[in-house]
Amino acid sequence: MQSVLARSSALRQNALKTSVRSFASSSARAQAVPSEKPVLNKQFKIYRWNPDEPGDKPTLQTYNVDLNQCGPMILDALIKIKNEMDPTLTFRRSCREGICGSCAMNINGQNTLACLCRIDRDSGKDTKIYPLPHMYIVKDLVPDLTLFYKQYKSIEPYLQNDNPPADREHLQSPEDRRKLDGMYECILCACCSTSCPSYWWNQDEYLGPATLMAAYRWMADSRDTYKAQRKEKLQNEMSLYRCHTIFNCARTCPKGLNPAAAIAKIKLELAAE
Amino acid sequence: MSASLIARSAVNQRIASTFARSSLRPLAFTARSVSDAAYVPGGPIYKGTVNDPTTFPPPSKTHGSYHWAFERLLSAGLVPLTAAAFVTSGSSHALLDGLLGMSLVMHSHIGFDSVLVDYLHPRKFPILGRALTWALRATTVTVLVGVYQFNTNDIGLIELIAKVWHA
Amino acid sequence: MMSARAVGLGPALRQVALKPRFGQAPALRTLVSKRAIQTQSLPPSASQEILNAQRLKRPSSPHFTIYQPQLTWLSSIANRMTGAALSVLLYGYAIAYLAAPTIFDSTHVIEFVAGLPDAVKIAGKTILAAPFAFHSLNGLRHLSWDMGKFLSLKGAYQAGYAVLGATAVSTVALVLM
Repeated sequence: MQSVLARSSALRQNALKTSVRSFASSSARAQAVPSEKPVLNKQFKIYRWNPDEPGDKPTLQTYNVDLNQCGPMILDALIKIKNEMDPTLTFRRSCREGICGSCAMNINGQNTLACLCRIDRDSGKDTKIYPLPHMYIVKDLVPDLTLFYKQYKSIEPYLQNDNPPADREHLQSPEDRRKLDGMYECILCACCSTSCPSYWWNQDEYLGPATLMAAYRWMADSRDTYKAQRKEKLQNEMSLYRCHTIFNCARTCPKGLNPAAAIAKIKLELAAE
Repeated sequence: MSASLIARSAVNQRIASTFARSSLRPLAFTARSVSDAAYVPGGPIYKGTVNDPTTFPPPSKTHGSYHWAFERLLSAGLVPLTAAAFVTSGSSHALLDGLLGMSLVMHSHIGFDSVLVDYLHPRKFPILGRALTWALRATTVTVLVGVYQFNTNDIGLIELIAKVWHA
Repeated sequence: MMSARAVGLGPALRQVALKPRFGQAPALRTLVSKRAIQTQSLPPSASQEILNAQRLKRPSSPHFTIYQPQLTWLSSIANRMTGAALSVLLYGYAIAYLAAPTIFDSTHVIEFVAGLPDAVKIAGKTILAAPFAFHSLNGLRHLSWDMGKFLSLKGAYQAGYAVLGATAVSTVALVLM
C-alpha cells in the first residue's frame, strides 16, 4: 500500500517537472498575443412561432450577435443564438456545407441555404430570417415539407426500364450522361418551389419547380423507358402548366441549377408529341 | 355540409373496411380515411399518409399541351397582326379587323381564364370560382359579338384606335 | 419546472421534497408506483387525428410581402396586370358598344377624345402606350423562352432589361405618334 502511494507521488512529481520544463521552454519564445477584436453587433430579426401557444400570432424576434465572435455564415449566427442566447429557437440544419438542404430558409427576402449564405457585415442593416414562404409552419423556421416530398414521390423518381441488359449494367454514352448535368445535382431543399408564386397559390395541385425538374431528369435519361407514361401524367391543367416561366426558381437556387429551363423543355417536348 | 362530411367518412370507412379484409396493413388504410375526410384543397391536412404520393388529375391533352401550344401560336400570331395593324392604320381592312378582334378576344379570354385558375380555382372556391368561370365565358361570347358588330357596322378596331390616337 | 410538469412529475417531485432525507430509498419506490400521471389509452389510428389537430393550428409563412423584389417575378406580375388592364378595356368597350351603339360609336368616341385638353390626352396616351408596349415586348420574351431561347438565368435577366429599355423607348415613340 505504502509503496504504491510512494510510486504515484513520484510519478506526479515527475509529471510536474516535465510540465514545468515545457512551460519554461515555450515562454522563452515570444508569444503571439491574439489581438482583441472590436465588438461588431448586428441585429438578426427571426420569425418565431411556437406550436405550444397556437393562439399567438407569429412574431419577429430580434437578436444581437457580435459578428467578431461568430462564424461567417447565417447558419453560424443561428447556432450561436441557439447555443448562447435562446435555446428555444428552432431550425433544421445538418451538413453545414450545402449538400443536405436542411437549412433552407428565407434570408433577407430570398430563399437560400443558411449554411451557404454569408452574413452581411454591415452592422447598420439588420438581417431578416423567415421560414420558406407560403408553407405551413411546424415551429419557428421549420416548415412542413410533407406535401413537397409526396409530390416528389408522385413522379416516380427512379429508373424504370422493363428490358434491363441481361449481363451487365445499363450503359450510357457520355453525351447522354451530360444531358443530366444541372439536374441530378438537386438536393431537394425546396428553395425553388417555395420561391415560386404559382406554387404559393396552387401547391396542392401544381408540382413546383423542384419536382418538375426531377421529372425531367428522368425523362431526359437515355436508360429510362417510361418517358411516355411520365409525360402523360403531366398532361393536365395543374401539374405542369401552372408554370408561367417566372424564373424565381432559377434565381434562388442555392446550387445554381435552372429548374425554369428544365420545365420549358418539358413543355416543348409535350407540345412536340 | 356536416351531413355530407359524415356521409363521405362513412363511405370511406366502408371502403377502408373492404380494403382491410383483403390487406395485410389495415391500419394504414383506416388512417387514410380519417385524413381524407378532413382534406381541404390547399389546407394543412394532406390526402393519404405521409408515404403516399400525391395523385394526378386524369390526363387530358386538351387541358395540357394542346391548350399550351394553342395559346403560344395565338400569341405568336398576334405579332404579325399587330405589325400589320400599325402598317395599315388609318385605312379600313375588314379581314385584318376581324382577325385581330378575334385573336385579341381569345388571347384575353385565355389570360383571364389563367388568372381564375391561378387565384380562384373552383376546387378552392366551389361557388365563386365556378360562377366566375362561367361569367367569363358568357362575357367573352358577348364581347365577340360586340367586336363583330363594331367591325361590321362601324369603322373597325384598327381605324378606331388610330383615329382616337390622333384625335 | 416546465419540463417536470410536462412529463407529469410535478406532484411526485413535491412528495420527494417533503419526505425526510433518511426515507429517500423507500420514497423513491413509492414514487414509481404512485406517480400521478393521467394517461389515456388511444388506438394507434388516433395519431392521425392528433397530427391533423396540430396541422390545423399551423400558420402559413409570409410570402410576397417579404420576398425580395426581383426582376423575375415583378416583370411576371406586371405582364399579367398590364395584359388584364388592356383586356378589360377591350372587353369594356365591346360590351358598351353592344349595349349602346349610338353612344359608344366611333364618331362619338373620337369627338369625346378630341375635346379633351392636351395634358389629359398625353397622360392618357402614356397610360395606354406603356402597358401595351411592355405586354407586347415581354410577350416576345415569353415566346422566346417557349422556343427554348434565353433560358439561362443570365439570358432571362438580359432579355428582361432589354424589354424594360425597349418599353421606355417605344412608349415615348407611341405617345409622340
